[in-house]
Amino acid sequence: MTDEFDSLDANVRWIATEARRPVPVDADARARLLEAVRREPVPTSAIPIMAWLTEPRGFSLPPFATAALAAGLVGIGVLGGLLLNRDGRRAEQSAVAVVHPQLPDSAAAHSVKFVLIAPQASKVSVVGDFNGWDAGATPMSSRSADGTWTVFVPLQPGLHTYSFVLDGSHFVPDPAAPMAPDDGFGHRNSVVLVRKPAT
Amino acid sequence: MKNSLIRSGIVAATLIAGATLLGAQDVRDRSGDPLGKLDPQTRYAVELMLDSAKLAGLPYGPLESKALEGISKRASGRDILVAVRRVLRTLRDARSALGPLASADELTAAAGALRVGISGAELTHLASVRDGKMSLTVPLIVLSDLVTRGVPRDTASLTINQLLRGGAADDDFLGLWRSVERDIVSGTDPGVALLNRVRQLPPRVQAGPPAAGVRPPEEAKS
Repeated sequence: MTDEFDSLDANVRWIATEARRPVPVDADARARLLEAVRREPVPTSAIPIMAWLTEPRGFSLPPFATAALAAGLVGIGVLGGLLLNRDGRRAEQSAVAVVHPQLPDSAAAHSVKFVLIAPQASKVSVVGDFNGWDAGATPMSSRSADGTWTVFVPLQPGLHTYSFVLDGSHFVPDPAAPMAPDDGFGHRNSVVLVRKPAT
Repeated sequence: MKNSLIRSGIVAATLIAGATLLGAQDVRDRSGDPLGKLDPQTRYAVELMLDSAKLAGLPYGPLESKALEGISKRASGRDILVAVRRVLRTLRDARSALGPLASADELTAAAGALRVGISGAELTHLASVRDGKMSLTVPLIVLSDLVTRGVPRDTASLTINQLLRGGAADDDFLGLWRSVERDIVSGTDPGVALLNRVRQLPPRVQAGPPAAGVRPPEEAKS
């Protein structure tokens, strides 16, 4: 290494020597340098709204507001699902006659009114071949104090098998309709016949 | 404060959209694949039976409905298969009894009658005595209900037979059913309730000759 250095041209040796000489640095230089960097503006996104949306930030809510917000969101989600569900199952055909103890009155003429008196139940729905036996598809409402639950369901003409579901899991037949034979699962169902419109 | 409200609104809107989309996805799953909750083996067997019913020209809606009913009632896959198979078998027997011109509703009602113990021969006889093209759906619904509520099978079958021969209409059968059901709930013996109520029907529907084997109410009471 020394031999190679000695063999270099004098000018080159001078440049190398000067380059190797330590440079005296002010003790505050590093601090000044960092401060200068901090003062430089932060590069921004080309789309300001995206920068605003993606910028991490924190905020706090009181527990009461958090609980209210969560409850509201769950309610909106459930309502949205129910509305979509009902729309997807809307019957298109209509009937003029229904063989059922509870004939339609104030609702549309082709709707069948299902009625059950269940004062002890906190939730009642009707399930059957018309809603895929989905206990959440056709909830019944109770507006009277005697525990009378009702719902109008548009049904297509034909024979339908159905049952009521109390509190989500207790299946009971309609006491006001003809019974179907044993369902094979330890329960009884009811039947309703919706007649085709007279031609 | 204003920024905080804006941020809260954005978070709320995002969560609402997410919850609604999740709900919609659930509905699509249910409607798009109704048998999706069955285990693969049960589902395969059920679909085979659905195909079998379609090929035979039988209504397959009752089979699919029975499978969905089993899912809703949290039945085991084995129980669901047994129930669906029984529906298929009774639909086949019903068509053999009623003939190829029977409607889907008649077949379904006849399958119910077979399940409560009415024989295929009795169904054939009922079909032969009806008035013209009268549908057997309501008479068979009433017959199945009466037997389910405890009316002796022979008594119920012969009574329906007699009413059909007399030209009874659907409303006559349903009126009879309502009366008998009320009497049974009140504590009357089911067989006696039926025979008593048959005597109260309008004469026009009692025009048929008395059905053999049907005892008068007084005798049945003793």
